[in-house]
Amino acid sequence: MPFAVKNICVRFPAATRFVFNDLSFHLYAPGFHALFGPSGVGKTTLARVITGDLKPLSGSIDAGTLSTFLYSYNLERLPDWSTVGNHLEKVTPPGRETLRKDLIHIFKLKDCAQKRFSLLSLGQQNRVNLLRYLLQDFDILIMDESLGNVDEPTRESILFKIKEMFPDPYFLYISHNVVEVARFCQSIVILRGSDRTPQSRLISGMDARSGVSPDSRKLEQTMLEIVNASS
Amino acid sequence: MKNTTMQIRSYRKKRIFMAALVFLMLWPGGSQASERVRYRLKWIFNASVLGDLYADAHGYFTRQGLEVDVKAGGPERDAIMELELGRTEFGVASADQVIRALSKGARLVVLAQLFQVNPLQWIYRPDRIRIRTLKDLKGHRLGVTFGGNDETILRTLLAKAGLSGADVDLFSVRNDFSPFFKKQVHFWPVYRNTQAVFLEAKLEDAGEPKAFFDPAAYGVKFVANSVITSEKIFEKHPGRVRRFMKGLLEGWQAALDEKNAASALELLQRHEKGTPPVLLKKQIHLTGRLVNPDPRIPIGAIDTAAWRQTEAIMIRQGQIDAPVGIENVLMQVLPR
Amino acid sequence: MLLHRRIYQFFIVYCLAVAGLMGIKYALSLSDYVIPGPLALWETAKETFGLYFKDVANTLMVAVVGQLLSIALALVLGITGRRATWFGSFIKVAAYNIQAYPIVAIAPIIFILLGDGWISRLLIAAMICYFPLLLSVIGIMSEPVTDIEHFYRVTGRMRWQLEVKIRAFENLNKLTTVIAGSATLAMAGTIVAEFIVADAGIGYAIRVALFQSDLSKILVALFLIGLSLSVYQGLLEGAGMIIKKGWAQKS
Repeated sequence: MPFAVKNICVRFPAATRFVFNDLSFHLYAPGFHALFGPSGVGKTTLARVITGDLKPLSGSIDAGTLSTFLYSYNLERLPDWSTVGNHLEKVTPPGRETLRKDLIHIFKLKDCAQKRFSLLSLGQQNRVNLLRYLLQDFDILIMDESLGNVDEPTRESILFKIKEMFPDPYFLYISHNVVEVARFCQSIVILRGSDRTPQSRLISGMDARSGVSPDSRKLEQTMLEIVNASS
Repeated sequence: MKNTTMQIRSYRKKRIFMAALVFLMLWPGGSQASERVRYRLKWIFNASVLGDLYADAHGYFTRQGLEVDVKAGGPERDAIMELELGRTEFGVASADQVIRALSKGARLVVLAQLFQVNPLQWIYRPDRIRIRTLKDLKGHRLGVTFGGNDETILRTLLAKAGLSGADVDLFSVRNDFSPFFKKQVHFWPVYRNTQAVFLEAKLEDAGEPKAFFDPAAYGVKFVANSVITSEKIFEKHPGRVRRFMKGLLEGWQAALDEKNAASALELLQRHEKGTPPVLLKKQIHLTGRLVNPDPRIPIGAIDTAAWRQTEAIMIRQGQIDAPVGIENVLMQVLPR
Repeated sequence: MLLHRRIYQFFIVYCLAVAGLMGIKYALSLSDYVIPGPLALWETAKETFGLYFKDVANTLMVAVVGQLLSIALALVLGITGRRATWFGSFIKVAAYNIQAYPIVAIAPIIFILLGDGWISRLLIAAMICYFPLLLSVIGIMSEPVTDIEHFYRVTGRMRWQLEVKIRAFENLNKLTTVIAGSATLAMAGTIVAEFIVADAGIGYAIRVALFQSDLSKILVALFLIGLSLSVYQGLLEGAGMIIKKGWAQKS
């Protein structure tokens, strides 16, 4: 089922400029997509509009039968009154204990289970946070810099596994890493700012899968396209 | 032409200003002519300080060449301390305060005794407590302010009757009269000329009998408010002291004079706006009976025997260790 | 350690204050009636220490219970009033209004209704110390800890108990400081209550001493009040640290 952002207009109270002025784009199939653009262009704002936390002045989100939208971001914390392992146990819906164990293994978090959240490194904290979201029911998961501070090989294996394990929902991956979005994402929504026409562009990514070696020429071309579209 | 007119106007203004300044400096009623003194009362402005207020409001001090700042007292104000700290020149203190201060080295002089009869008495229900002798207090619940003068007086009365605290039920009294109204206690300390007037009115409205217990009637004379100054002021400024006392005692005399009843009432009404005039009149009348019970004795006369008795009571009750030689500080200053 | 520091800091403050008073006394040649000399102070201390110690213990007991009551009250009102709802705003307005009335005006009413026993003292102590507690609790409870709460909110797991737990845990230092600080107010409130309406406790003893213009008794009473308060605050801070440690270690 396609997911569409239709004619969204957003302006914050007391601001003279629109964040979005008639912004529209379509994503045609579930999978791993990216929201890309320079800082301040409105990626987080768009995420809040999609999850329903922020009402646009006009326009709508057409998500068809999709109903559960989650937004996770890299500054989230778990309370320190309990260990990470306990917290993860408590937020695991019934029947997903195996999934939790698998994800802990994939996310390389086994050693962190007995620790308090505040004692983890930033990269570990971000992985724990993303993991607990993946245990939930969702149709769309927006991952705002959710793998920040995670080393590249770990990040790569996590992204491959997510794509393998969760083929049905939409992922909207917010990142400033052009290589990453070009390589891993199925499509990349480039947000260009309300003063530019068109305000967004949709570029096809390489949607890399585990075990398939990347075509470096094609990757370069996609990256170039992204850079050109966003500049 | 315009400039010349302006100069003339300016010159005229200056002359008028100078003339006004000279006039003010020479004016006999101006601030230069009278001496300023401060007078700290024992309590807030009510009937008990009527004469003090009257002397001030009706020019008795001014006629003595004094400009007196009459300051209200209160539980947290202590004229003796203010005298020592140089914050007042005259004040009102109770006899026990004076004696206690003398025992601690304060150098004071008592100039006049404002109340010949201590206004601190007890209101009681004669249908519940029949008092013919002091022994009749035995077994009753008696209201007392622990630490206050009434405790000292009551304990003296009990001792006189050969009773101790164990023979009676002492009930701690507060500012609130409800235990008396609720009939939990039938014997309650009051200031006869102020609080008692309100209580009497309420009891009369309720048709309840009431009576007053005056310790003086049982031979206990505990001196109340007196006018004091420091030994230093008394010695260095005898003229000022004499003039102050003349103004003050003449003020009291006039305030209690029947001829001035209307103006005395009007003055008291200014400070007690919510109180019905009929009650204020009664308060003034009772104040007169406590301040000047015997027309042969002048207002302000110091009852040396009562002071000695007060000192003796305080020694007996361990409030002071030894006699303070109270006679030596009683310096009666009556108007000539 | 905290307790030890609090006590010696109090000794320093008290000694400085007494030294200042003595300085004034001798500089202005004031009698013992205005400011008692060291000997008079020592004699009074010997005479009244035991008696006042019992009075202070009595006051402290009421203050502790009053504080517990006010903590409970502030938590209930703070938690109920944390939301921007009609009821929340009603709670805040009611709490602010009650605080606006001076306790000396309310105390006689309490005395008429409840008499001069310990319940009046308790109530007045609680009323005086609950307001700053309430303000802090409302402040803490109405401020979302977004970075923690977001997940529970979007996944539908947020319950009011969890919300309160998160906000209390994240602000435990602040809460401990406010609670320890409010001990001073509870003690002051109890003393005021005793001064106005009761017939027991150190406030009542101070009132009697004031009747007798006996500053040395008041200085002894202040010493014992300060000392007991330092001990109590030290213990509260210690308890706060233990709770935090225990909470953090509990898995």
